[in-house]
Amino acid sequence: MKPVEFRHDVLISHVAPDQWHALQDDLVAGRGAASRRPDGRIFVSIDAWHDAAFDELAAAMLAALPRPLHTVVDEADLEMTAAWQRAGFTIRRREWEYAVPTEAGSALPPAGVALPPAGVALPPAGVALPPAGVAIKGFGTASVAPLRALDREIRAEAGPGWQDMPAEVVARPLDPSKYAVAADGAEYVGLLRVAMVTRLPRIGLIAVRAGHRRRGIGRALLAHTLGALHHVGKSTASAEVTESNVAATALFEGFGARRTGSNLELTRR
Amino acid sequence: MPRTAKGIELEGTVVECLRNATFRVELPNGHIVLAHISGKIRKNYIKIVPLDRVLVELSPYDLTRGRIVFRYRG
Repeated sequence: MKPVEFRHDVLISHVAPDQWHALQDDLVAGRGAASRRPDGRIFVSIDAWHDAAFDELAAAMLAALPRPLHTVVDEADLEMTAAWQRAGFTIRRREWEYAVPTEAGSALPPAGVALPPAGVALPPAGVALPPAGVAIKGFGTASVAPLRALDREIRAEAGPGWQDMPAEVVARPLDPSKYAVAADGAEYVGLLRVAMVTRLPRIGLIAVRAGHRRRGIGRALLAHTLGALHHVGKSTASAEVTESNVAATALFEGFGARRTGSNLELTRR
Repeated sequence: MPRTAKGIELEGTVVECLRNATFRVELPNGHIVLAHISGKIRKNYIKIVPLDRVLVELSPYDLTRGRIVFRYRG
């Protein structure tokens, strides 16, 4: 007797230039989508209720889209990672997710004050003050034009690696209320961007100009930000750091940040 | 339950983050579903944390499972 062969009859429908559906028995068994990031890279996603739908969608999308293609998965999602690997995607990089306690920044002086005024106790060990001559401008106090210039300069210095920044997933207008800035005299030399996403503030970007690194400016920006968040009742912030960015990893972990997960970026060339 | 071209979608509240990138989501009727997050949410680095209000698409194959397709602000 022949064994019964079970077949998944999945029909793929290209419903829009960047969208695909997997249909099975009048049900949408899966959906695929592609989108282009500001840097031009194409990221794809597939949501399917079973492997056959995923594989058929992946095959259809790979046939229709130019390479390379990229996607992001939670590293803990082993099934999804395996599904993309079946489609020929390989791991390009890993990014740690951190939960950063704000308590370490809670004893900072007010924004714009480089050193504690006379009579004010120094913050406890582990809290960073900016170096001499550098002041931290609090959220919403930076001027737009020099902030925009600093943003441009930092992007230029970062080069292609900038495109890996999770904060760059969506192009946004520059909003000074989301930035703390380090000013060396009149010159802006570092910035930190925080997005208040529902209950969990997210540190989306921290950067210091090349000629001003290794002076503790990034640390001071982070300390200031954590202090400001602590004062408004936020106990934790989130941040993502590329595994290869040893300096950023050390910076966050120096403030007691703990890893809560990791994302993988996978690529199909 | 509203059944749309996207399947059965319901609002719910995230009550717990589990391993393997899954979440327990409580629906208005008190039922708990086990939900993954959608690829679009992952691709856009949207964080899901407990107490978030979310839109869940239920699996047509198993109504105890679903997929978080949207996180509401606020």
